[in-house]
Amino acid sequence: MTSPLVEVAGLQTHFPVRKGLLRRAVGAVRAVDGVSFSIGKGRTLGLVGESGCGKTTVGRSLLRLVEPTGGSVRFDGRDVRAAGGAELRGLRRRMQIVFQDPYGSLNPRMKVRTILEEGLIIHRLGTAAERLERMTRALARTGLTAAALDRYPHEFSGGQRQRIAIARAIVIEPDFLVLDEPISALDVSIQAQVVNLLVELREQLGLTYLFISHDLSVVEYVSDDVAVMYLGLIVERAPAERLYAEPLHPYTLALFSAVPSVEPDRRRRRIVLTGDVPSPARPPAGCRFHPRCPLAEQVCREAEPPATMVDGHAVHCHVAAREVERAGGDAAVAAACMADLMAATAAASATAT
Amino acid sequence: MPLLEINNLVTAFHTPAGRVPAVDGVSLSVERGKTLGLVGESGCGKSVTAMSILRLVAAPGVIEAGEILLRDASGGVLNLVTLPEPRLREVRGGRIGMIFQEPMTSLNPVFTIGDQIAEAVLLHRDVSRAEARGRALEMLELVRIADPTRRLDEYPHQLSGGMRQRVVIAMALACEPDLIIADEPTTALDVTIQAQILDLLADLRQRLGTAILLITHDLGVVAETCDDVAVMYAGRIVEQAPAAALFAKPRHPYTIGLLAARPERGSRAGQKAGRAAGRLRTIPGMVPAPQYFPAGCRFHPRCAFARLPECAGEMPELREVATGHFVRCPYADALGEPRRLDEPRGQIA
Repeated sequence: MTSPLVEVAGLQTHFPVRKGLLRRAVGAVRAVDGVSFSIGKGRTLGLVGESGCGKTTVGRSLLRLVEPTGGSVRFDGRDVRAAGGAELRGLRRRMQIVFQDPYGSLNPRMKVRTILEEGLIIHRLGTAAERLERMTRALARTGLTAAALDRYPHEFSGGQRQRIAIARAIVIEPDFLVLDEPISALDVSIQAQVVNLLVELREQLGLTYLFISHDLSVVEYVSDDVAVMYLGLIVERAPAERLYAEPLHPYTLALFSAVPSVEPDRRRRRIVLTGDVPSPARPPAGCRFHPRCPLAEQVCREAEPPATMVDGHAVHCHVAAREVERAGGDAAVAAACMADLMAATAAASATAT
Repeated sequence: MPLLEINNLVTAFHTPAGRVPAVDGVSLSVERGKTLGLVGESGCGKSVTAMSILRLVAAPGVIEAGEILLRDASGGVLNLVTLPEPRLREVRGGRIGMIFQEPMTSLNPVFTIGDQIAEAVLLHRDVSRAEARGRALEMLELVRIADPTRRLDEYPHQLSGGMRQRVVIAMALACEPDLIIADEPTTALDVTIQAQILDLLADLRQRLGTAILLITHDLGVVAETCDDVAVMYAGRIVEQAPAAALFAKPRHPYTIGLLAARPERGSRAGQKAGRAAGRLRTIPGMVPAPQYFPAGCRFHPRCAFARLPECAGEMPELREVATGHFVRCPYADALGEPRRLDEPRGQIA
């Protein structure tokens, strides 16, 4: 087992809430509040959750596009948070990001050539001729030709722009890409093209991905491991096939059941959560999911649930922990019990209304 | 007789670059109390179709042809295309309610929730301010907003996205319309909130008997909420059928492609051996802009089943291939095996 490329432990990113004349910090939005994971070289971690859960902030914190306020981030054994100046620049050459909106992430006044060349110049990679060769190669890998270099972003469709954004990320030959909702702004028929492209690039270039998305089926398709976030914390993490086959956390179960499906047998009873996601400035005590959780008990309101490990599957839930113990450590049995419990509450609330 | 019947609607935009027919001969009907899903990708004309129904298409858009018939319970018929503006205003928000994608932009930030719902009632009903406010409260209860009395005096920014969309639904329903046009009502919302809103719409439809025209790009949403589906591509309807039939057996190559482009549950990239195995099926290329609609079948340049030169010749007619199942493809019964269309690369130059 080689050591992981990316190692995150107890990552915290809080944003101060400032008020009054002196802009004093009166509180903090705890966007990321103690997140730990690692990604092995060449592997893909999918990070899913709803808006405001902190998944985007995790991605940006890894690259220090926002400064983490606690915890550690190690990239290839080196401490990203402690790195400064030349060392940070060196690390950033190896870690790149692709953003959601290809309309917002490409400067409309720059030609594609300038957009792609910027990184090469900053990192002093190659002569002018070598830079052109690298740019042409990056464009070719994303399905574009060198003719794109002398055009502006507005001349391209959404899908092509996202290809340009991907070309910009891979042109300096990084090892690791943060993909922040890379297909959400695209049409369905274009999404599949970009997903295939990302999978191809991973295979050809040996890239490691953090794939951030709210689209559960695409995450399953792309990822080796998946982590589910809720209000700044990872509530469940497992290898993709385990998480999708045997979800243990009530939030994961509700999330899966809420996704509309065209497959009739998938359309089982929807678990409709009540209420909205609370503000990360005032996260609830105990388990952060308890105000919306149909299975919440007294202990959930009081104590933050620790991780329960079962077959490489980590879940933070008091109820799931008990079910895992009752099942004698059999994740499949525990998952079936959790599904039954959730279904029972869904049925009860359906008859109540 | 259907509640709403659209016949051969043509809506075009007259731009400096020429005439752009965004909607090019669309016919649809929505039965009383039923939900029709209108599906397609961006630019296919689905929103322009919806806006045409209420004649809200902004200049330089013009309804050039067709009729839009709205029937009432006693058999009276209005043609919304020719209806004089004052009478059309009675229909907008009165007999037809509207829900847009982004709730923040359809609510006025400087008025309270209560005022905005009451305004809709005051416009269409002969009631006092107090009665209108009472109706607003009733509507907030109907859409299951917690603590409705307090919310009545709050402003849109004080509500979450899901609650705002509930308020927009309350406004749309305040005058007991026969039809609601919902344009991507859940696209801006998270899945758990989307589930709440879809549940609410289904429940309201059952209780109030309101028909819904649901416009969306999400086939999953359609499968779970609609009785009938119409699939639009490049300004035209390419397939129309009862939802169960369409998802059980999609007939048009575009619908087949759309359904296949989504990863199935349990599928993983590169799990299968072989280079091309384990890839998602894609529809190559992209939706053409209306100025560049190809001749013949508008989908043929992207179609894995296209037969040339036939498909590039005549525009195929919408024809019935099974009871209630209409397809705009002459080969829908015998498509055979799809050709493998590799993604076109470097088509920019």
